[in-house]
Amino acid sequence: MLVTWRYRPRPNSVVQNLDPRAWMIFFACFLVATVMTWDLRLLLPLLAIALFFILSSRLTWRETRRAWLFITGFVVFFSTLTLLTGRGGMEHYAVEHVIATTRAPFSILGWTPTLILSSERLMFALSMLVRVFSLASMTVLIPYCINPALYGITFRGLGMPDKFAYAMDLTMRFIPTFGRDFQLTMDAQRARGYELEKLEGGLLAQVRKLAPLLVPVTIHAIAGSEDIIDAMDLRAFGVQPRTWLIELVYRHRDRGLIAAGVMLMVAYIALSLIGLGRLWVPEALLTFPVLSP
Amino acid sequence: MDRKTLSVLLALAAVLVFFLAIIWIGGMLNPSLQLDQTALLRFVFVAVGLVIVFVIYWLTKSSGIWQVGTREVVYMAIGAALYAVFSYLFNGTVFVVPSVSQVALRPAIVIPMFFGYTFGPVVGFFSGAVGNMFGDALTGFGLSPQWSIGNGLVGLIAGLALLYPDKKKSLNNVLIAGGVLTLLATAIYFIGKSTPNMLFFDVPNNIFGDQPITVIAGLSVLIGFVLVLLARFLFGANLDIAAAVTWSMLGNLIGIGFAALSDIWINGYPPVAAIVGEFIPAAGPNLIFAAVLIPLLVGAYAAMRRQTGR
Repeated sequence: MLVTWRYRPRPNSVVQNLDPRAWMIFFACFLVATVMTWDLRLLLPLLAIALFFILSSRLTWRETRRAWLFITGFVVFFSTLTLLTGRGGMEHYAVEHVIATTRAPFSILGWTPTLILSSERLMFALSMLVRVFSLASMTVLIPYCINPALYGITFRGLGMPDKFAYAMDLTMRFIPTFGRDFQLTMDAQRARGYELEKLEGGLLAQVRKLAPLLVPVTIHAIAGSEDIIDAMDLRAFGVQPRTWLIELVYRHRDRGLIAAGVMLMVAYIALSLIGLGRLWVPEALLTFPVLSP
Repeated sequence: MDRKTLSVLLALAAVLVFFLAIIWIGGMLNPSLQLDQTALLRFVFVAVGLVIVFVIYWLTKSSGIWQVGTREVVYMAIGAALYAVFSYLFNGTVFVVPSVSQVALRPAIVIPMFFGYTFGPVVGFFSGAVGNMFGDALTGFGLSPQWSIGNGLVGLIAGLALLYPDKKKSLNNVLIAGGVLTLLATAIYFIGKSTPNMLFFDVPNNIFGDQPITVIAGLSVLIGFVLVLLARFLFGANLDIAAAVTWSMLGNLIGIGFAALSDIWINGYPPVAAIVGEFIPAAGPNLIFAAVLIPLLVGAYAAMRRQTGR
């Protein structure tokens, strides 16, 4: 049985009153604009756009609580990790200005763990937080705000051939179903004594121990697909160019959204080309002493 | 060349020309432009990857492996959805699958390999590329479309096994090609042993991308290749398993190689850093998964087919 995303009609939702094709095009432009920049001053307008769509989407805290908790946990975890270790930032700055240094009161084999808080790490972590939160928030709106019945026609309307549009439609429908199947399989294996949290042994042993989860979920998915294949074959799927039950029509607001998305993307590409997309560190934070290698 | 094929080729060429033109104009506007600090090259490499796919298709289009019927459409969707779900679950935030000596375990990669080998290159490519895209979207990992194309290539190359009616004949050539690539990667590891493992992070010890690659991680491609070789000969009697493991190995080396090498231009990594810091830590563990999990999947699928009579 297919499990669906938690979509429901929300009459006053801005996103749900837009053509899904227009929304997908805007989303793609937003993604490109976001990955073009690490400058916090340019990322904040993108965050504002994401917040506008979230707040105007009429999604309630109750129905999206799990998604937001996951996003928040994910963003905070990786931003904190970035702040403490400077991970990923080495590509964006060559010099660091040290705000504070904390040394552990102990040593391990002559090595004393040291945490360095630098201006560049701080700004990189902040930029990353805003960047990932904006991207993740806009992505969350898709499963909650696009009617699953429109997935296929949306991708067809974006220029994909019928078969690929239908494959995209099915992919989006299968994701929550397989998520549920994975949970069921894991519960069943746990009842038999399997503990994913306690994978032990060498490399090969650990790899082999993942099989009781991966293999049943995969084979069950393939076995279950026969009903869908039969149903599609009985409806003569792919015999000739198909028609779609629902037709999508662009309105003025949809064209406006597409134009806004394209302008946003072009503007951010242009800013990136003239060198304004790089990591920004305020002048005031550059007065701290330079970290010696 | 028929009209449909020509339009696909022209569309790909247009995408490539569009981004190259932007880069050219950017260079004129800003002489100090550093392309690795924009994200433009990612899209150039997406177009390059798709051109590679098109060339493979063009050279082999007379075979039946590129046919897409109802069955393939459904398997494409299943493969992509499974890859997305497993990528999301095993990405280190939902379930933390422990690393062994910097060898991070990403079991989801067996999905495009298995689906490519079993159901053909179109299913394999779609499972890898679209599954990776959805997996990244589920976790909020941003946009690395060239890695999606690389994952797609993993499935596509695995699916090229269907080009050979006699699987046994193809195995030796594939093993030789894989062996050469493995030796090259291992030789480069010995040249750049002090390169950081850029794909590894260890939260409790605050390590990410700044710790030199360990010997086990550095030799993981070699270890993986030896395991594939063992699987090839251990399952000598079951050609299906031997071929699945062998072709998955080649798909992994080429697909992940494409994505890692593109970072030489996209992120401005030196070639040794891209190979030792990215390719080896990604492709090596994938080979280990191919050698261990692909035989189980192929065996289970064969048993299911016997039971259901399909």
